[in-house]
Amino acid sequence: MIQAVDFITNSASIGTVNGIPLMTITLAVLATSIRVLALILLSIISGWLLAYGAIKSKIFENIFISLIEIFESVPVITFFPVVLIIFVDRIGGGLGVELAADFLVFTAVVWNIWMGEYQAFKTVPSEMVEVANNYNYGFLDRMGMIYIPFSIPRIAANLFPSVSDGFFYITVSEVFSIGLTTYATFGIGTEISSLLAQSNYYGVLTAFIIMGIIIVIIILALRSISERAVAKYTVDTDMPIMRRGKPRIRQTARFSAVASLNTLGKLAKYNRERRPQKDPEELFSTTPKKGKGNIIAGLVALAIFLYIIYSAIELILSVSAKEWDYLFSKTPSLLYGLMLDYLRVITITLISLFMALTLGYYFATRKRVEKFGIPVIQTLSAYPVPAYFPFLFLGIYPFVDSIFGSYTEEALVLFLGFLATFYYVFYGFWMGVKAMPSEYNEIMRNLDLGFFQKMRYVIIPSTFPYLISGITSTVNSAWGGLEIGEYWPHIAGNRTLQVHDGLMKTIDVATSTGNIALAAWGSFLFAIIVAVYSIIFTKKMMDLAKKKYVAEEGIYSV
Amino acid sequence: MRTYAIWWLLGTTLEVVDLDFRYENGYKVFQDINLKAEKGKFIAIVGPSGVGKSTLLRLLGAFLKPEKGSVLLHGKPVLRPTPLISMVHQSIVTFPWMTAEENVALSVRMKNLPKDKVKEISSRALEMVGLQGFNDLYPKEMSGGMRQRVAVARSLAADPKILLMDEPFAHLDELTAEGLRQDIYNILFNEESPLETVIMVSHNLTEVIELSDTVFILNGNPATIVAKVDIDIPRPRSPRDPKFDQMLDILYSYLTRKGVKKQ
Ligand SMILES: Nc1ncnc2c1ncn2[C@@H]1O[C@H](COP(=O)(O)OP(=O)(O)O)[C@@H](O)[C@H]1O
Ligand SMILES: [Mg+2]
Repeated sequence: MIQAVDFITNSASIGTVNGIPLMTITLAVLATSIRVLALILLSIISGWLLAYGAIKSKIFENIFISLIEIFESVPVITFFPVVLIIFVDRIGGGLGVELAADFLVFTAVVWNIWMGEYQAFKTVPSEMVEVANNYNYGFLDRMGMIYIPFSIPRIAANLFPSVSDGFFYITVSEVFSIGLTTYATFGIGTEISSLLAQSNYYGVLTAFIIMGIIIVIIILALRSISERAVAKYTVDTDMPIMRRGKPRIRQTARFSAVASLNTLGKLAKYNRERRPQKDPEELFSTTPKKGKGNIIAGLVALAIFLYIIYSAIELILSVSAKEWDYLFSKTPSLLYGLMLDYLRVITITLISLFMALTLGYYFATRKRVEKFGIPVIQTLSAYPVPAYFPFLFLGIYPFVDSIFGSYTEEALVLFLGFLATFYYVFYGFWMGVKAMPSEYNEIMRNLDLGFFQKMRYVIIPSTFPYLISGITSTVNSAWGGLEIGEYWPHIAGNRTLQVHDGLMKTIDVATSTGNIALAAWGSFLFAIIVAVYSIIFTKKMMDLAKKKYVAEEGIYSV
Repeated sequence: MRTYAIWWLLGTTLEVVDLDFRYENGYKVFQDINLKAEKGKFIAIVGPSGVGKSTLLRLLGAFLKPEKGSVLLHGKPVLRPTPLISMVHQSIVTFPWMTAEENVALSVRMKNLPKDKVKEISSRALEMVGLQGFNDLYPKEMSGGMRQRVAVARSLAADPKILLMDEPFAHLDELTAEGLRQDIYNILFNEESPLETVIMVSHNLTEVIELSDTVFILNGNPATIVAKVDIDIPRPRSPRDPKFDQMLDILYSYLTRKGVKKQ
């Protein structure tokens, strides 16, 4: 039974051509696009306010930044079933469903944008701030005349990944089932699944084409906006541009934080002759000193996770002692499933990394391939995998089956994960290669290094910070991919895509059979282990990156 | 083989013939560049800022392709970068994730030598540039001058015939630069070194007179070689030597083109 009323579909026979509801499809694509863009806009605006707060208050800054870092490294989608329950239960109706979908998209796009804005606000040149102080600018003037324009290039740089993320999640979050109830909110995700249910394949194809067109339009528009923004507002930019002989400080938001932390060497006396730090980025130390802020933020984050899960358990059911027994007895098999999922995530990540290193290098070193290839990859990445995967599934099943036999579904799920995540590490690596000092390129050519030597000694180390942030996103999205793929009923007609075992599958199955206690308990275990692990892992890697692998520090120039 | 012998007899190592170059955006940097670098010589290319000195070095190292004309090493065209023609950059380039020794070892690695041989060669190169005992320091633990020495050691360890240096002292403070300048000639032309010719780009005339045997003056738009000046002041050279001042006048007048005297 479909609870949210499919009102437009029913009333839109006006725009129907040959059984294809053109009008409805177009409206649905627009609805989804508007949802994504509006949430990105919301992230941008809220980010300005928060970033302003952060530069005004040290305490707020510490907590804000640490929270971003934590949430960035935790795959929020895996909490989705539980989050859904809260929204549907507490708010209910069409609004609850809509908000649940919005919440998911918001958490997917917001961190990058917030971080970028904060970085930008932090790096406003002191001269500009002095001018503002001089003329006694108020809050609005400061924002409108200094901070906001200054943050535009960085926001522009973060738009592509955010749009991709947004579309990816929106199509899965528009329709979902809890127990026997299917909830849906109007949009292309819902529309496609309703067309599928009616076996209207031409309709689905049309939906893909229209969605493709609109995504291409959005990407092109964003490209031109960001090009213009960069040309107009750049003081320092995130766009990878090769310049010669200048200090190169132009990285992703996360990387800026890394780069600006100049860890002093052991021998302080040798540091006396370091280059004068003229760069505004370095004048304002970009990353606040962490310490207590980090711990507080960790506790806050944990408290938020625990609250989400607790309210799910607490609100929806009062768990009896017998149920607790049941949950505890299930725990070992849940942990086993989690281990399997980890193996899957690692496999997906390694394959993505391999592809990134080879293909990304190929792209970054061949101008013509790059000019054509990067926009194609950007567009593909914004095209939501969950929307087209059922067709891929139908198309490649026989082929995959002939190779993998009884592991076919496993392979397909890994493939789905790969499609959903490959882009991040690829893009990160590509950015890293583009931002590599041009001198490094010349030295590699000069010394006639072979491919593996280049990779090992120069390219991987100098792109390391980019790779790490790319890998972090890839790992997160891999969890998202598993959450969708490990149990996908009715992926094509009556067929169900599922793996033998896995925590994501258990949670999905539990959610769809109404076993909320088990779903919540599984999410809880997942939250604790994965969150702690990814926070520690990401943090370790980032620390290593900022300590050792900052290519910009390899160029000494006044 | 025969051409090689002739060139060697004549003592020319690197030669530029009728070279034209323009950047992708259509900007024509050079027209008709001709120059010969002789064996055992320290050669300087001077010219005003933006005239194309760095560009010329990149053409000499085949990092850029000429629009017309060619670069010859021992009479053979240089078509792509080679360890035989090694470049030291203006902005001092080291790899922060490698120690001094590993930085140097990078240019030994492509030879596929055993590990201890690589270590030995890199250590010796560091010693040559006066950094013995600093093998395990990371670049960020070193001053700019030390880093540039590492970069020079890395270039030397590649066993080049020609060393290209793009304003190698420009990013050092005056004292450090002077220290390195005093050392560099001996470093580059000691008996162990395989180097035949050093080509340095600079806009600092004092530095050029202090170091070089031959100076090519690059000027005009598009630029070309407007003069070749030999400097025969005996070494070590002192800026207080009256000959030094004379040279300065001569170079200065070529650079300003109209023959203005030094003020
Ligand atoms: N990649 C490039 N594309 C177009 N023009 C360039 C490029 N690099 C340098 N130029 C221009 O070529 C001229 C010579 O540059 P360069 O060789 O760096 O001069 P120098 O080293 O003598 O100061 C300059 O006018 C510079 O602006
Ligand atoms: Mg130059």
